[in-house]
Amino acid sequence: MSARRRDPRAERAAVVVAEAPRRRIDRTHRGGVVAHCAAVAPAAAQVVTIADPAYLVFAVAEMAGGVLSRHDRQVLGAARLLDGGGAAAVVLLAPSLPEDAGAAGADRVMVLPERDDPASLAASVAAAIGAHRPRHVVFAESADGGDLARRVAALCDEALFDAVESLSARQAIRPAAAGRAEWRAAPPRLLSIAADRIAPWRGAAHAAEPVDLPADPAMDAAMAVRLSPLPLEAATVRLDEAGFVIAAGNGVTDLAGFLDLARALGATPGASRVVCDAGALPRAMQVGASGTVLNADCYVAFGISGAPQHLQGIGTVDHVVAVNTDLHAAMIARADLAVVADAQAVLPALLALLGAEA
Amino acid sequence: MRIVVLLSAGRHPATGDPCPVPVELQAIALARRIAGAGGAVEGLHAGGRDAAVLDALGHGIDGLTLVGAGAADDPLGALVAALEGRMPVLILAGRRGRGGADGGLLPYRLARALGWPIVADAIAAEFAGGETRVTQALPRGGRRAATVRGAAVITVHPAAPAPLPYVHRARLAGRVSEAAGPALISALAPEGIEMRPYRARPKLIGDVGGGGSAEARLQAVSETRDAGGRVMRHPSPDEAAVAILDFVARFRPRKA
Ligand SMILES: Cc1cc2nc3c(=O)[nH]c(=O)nc-3n(C[C@H](O)[C@H](O)[C@H](O)COP(=O)(O)OP(=O)(O)OC[C@H]3O[C@@H](n4cnc5c(N)ncnc54)[C@H](O)[C@@H]3O)c2cc1C
Ligand SMILES: Nc1ncnc2c1ncn2[C@@H]1O[C@H](COP(=O)(O)O)[C@@H](O)[C@H]1O
Repeated sequence: MSARRRDPRAERAAVVVAEAPRRRIDRTHRGGVVAHCAAVAPAAAQVVTIADPAYLVFAVAEMAGGVLSRHDRQVLGAARLLDGGGAAAVVLLAPSLPEDAGAAGADRVMVLPERDDPASLAASVAAAIGAHRPRHVVFAESADGGDLARRVAALCDEALFDAVESLSARQAIRPAAAGRAEWRAAPPRLLSIAADRIAPWRGAAHAAEPVDLPADPAMDAAMAVRLSPLPLEAATVRLDEAGFVIAAGNGVTDLAGFLDLARALGATPGASRVVCDAGALPRAMQVGASGTVLNADCYVAFGISGAPQHLQGIGTVDHVVAVNTDLHAAMIARADLAVVADAQAVLPALLALLGAEA
Repeated sequence: MRIVVLLSAGRHPATGDPCPVPVELQAIALARRIAGAGGAVEGLHAGGRDAAVLDALGHGIDGLTLVGAGAADDPLGALVAALEGRMPVLILAGRRGRGGADGGLLPYRLARALGWPIVADAIAAEFAGGETRVTQALPRGGRRAATVRGAAVITVHPAAPAPLPYVHRARLAGRVSEAAGPALISALAPEGIEMRPYRARPKLIGDVGGGGSAEARLQAVSETRDAGGRVMRHPSPDEAAVAILDFVARFRPRKA
């Protein structure tokens, strides 16, 4: 009985978070849980080394632009989920050695040969898999990552558990049957993970020691794919695919100048419904609930009031610029950079600035 | 020129009814463009008389071949057998199926079995001078040219030209040749896999991780604005132009 007896004095002491500079009390953790004001001590800068791994887990990173992307970090995070609680070593396969590979969770780094040809890249990865027999190989289900994963799966003659949306040490889940069903299985050997589903590694940094790639396999020249980038024709990019969109509303009178600006900026042009209804710009350019819902990273609105039906079209856009004469327009409130000015003056100024830059 | 388009038994995402896979119909339209007026575009499906596959007859193919699935419900062997002896110039397939495994692996396995190169995510292609030149769709509207020697398997991206309109007369009059073989039971999941109704799971927002305090995690997901909602009141046009150009600089496409 005595153990259950309340001790009001101790309870009161437990909810005190701080005495100085003033007494602070936190009653949300009724009884027991003691809140500490002091920040959690940062994890000691200790590097984990797995000298004698029980097995290997490969994480294949794309590293577009030479750095680990968000998706690449998630691939490493997924690989760490499959490491049997630190028993296995995670080997990062990447086209170059990223500085932060250890912090992202890699125990070893195998640098793949710098190659443009996806077929020979897949042959190198398959050769590494053949030589080291990893228990799991994790790919990113991106455009090029997904292509590589399927090439490797075909070369190894194995199944690929693709577009995994949920992963734990015991189970991987992926959608199937037109998104009506999901497949669940113990984590298989080859898997690719969908973007933004699996958290990146946040634990202690690992050693990220460089290791050698096995000798390059003989490549069949007949299978080679030659790639060359094509210039981005922003004006012809579909509005829902575009990454950078500038749009004109009722406050823009010089639409020809607006289209020139879109071309000069390399942006895809859009418009509000009023402009499209008037027939000044084609319907395909309409942004909004009854037009196109954007997936862009950046949106610049000239002379658009920001009606709810219009804002619905830019719901997921992270970076918004608005140019409007009305300080109280909804578009100005939505914008990250709001410019209260006449669009007719700003448009030519932008064009002149771009002209000087070229 | 003869082009074979691989067709799968699609299912509608909302109703689950037989329904052609849009990207495979786009593959037919693309094949028609490549083949030109005198060319032939044929459909090939490993499996039975599925309504979804037969519907493709109305979207512009000259004929449809149905082959029984090979052993162990694997369409690969049946497809290779059907192609052998009468190789087309190009083989087009969808980027992913819709209604079965939807893994998009089959075209890669077929390419490997035939010893052909494969190019993914095409929106345009041409075959000339013993080379296949493909325009690939990349994320964010990017485009890339891919060239391979000789014939190739090409998977088609949803950004490719729209399917040809449905012609019911062509669907009724379409030529279907069937080769005997065991039927494919496509609804079956492979061994060791449990099938459940799909459950939508939340995506990660922001850069959340396991570490840090609860406060830091909350901040990570609630703070998405980077410019801090900067407002410029009545700047001169040039000031405004410089500020806007600064803001959008990192979103502009790099000059090739
Ligand atoms: C069912 C339904 C669906 C709809 N769907 C859509 C949709 O999909 N997309 C869409 O856009 N709309 C849609 N609308 C219409 C929407 O409600 C608005 O009417 C429309 O978005 C307004 O367009 P706007 O901002 O260009 O024009 P206005 O509302 O006329 O606003 C013009 C803005 O420009 C500013 N301005 C004026 N002169 C200047 C200048 N010289 N320099 C700078 N700024 C200036 C003004 O201050 C004002 O804020 C829909 C409406 C309905 C009922
Ligand atoms: N049974 C089949 N017969 C013919 N082609 C198929 C079959 N299954 C899949 N395909 C082709 O392969 C592509 C990818 O399918 P999947 O690997 O099932 O996602 C499809 O878009 C079709 O073009």
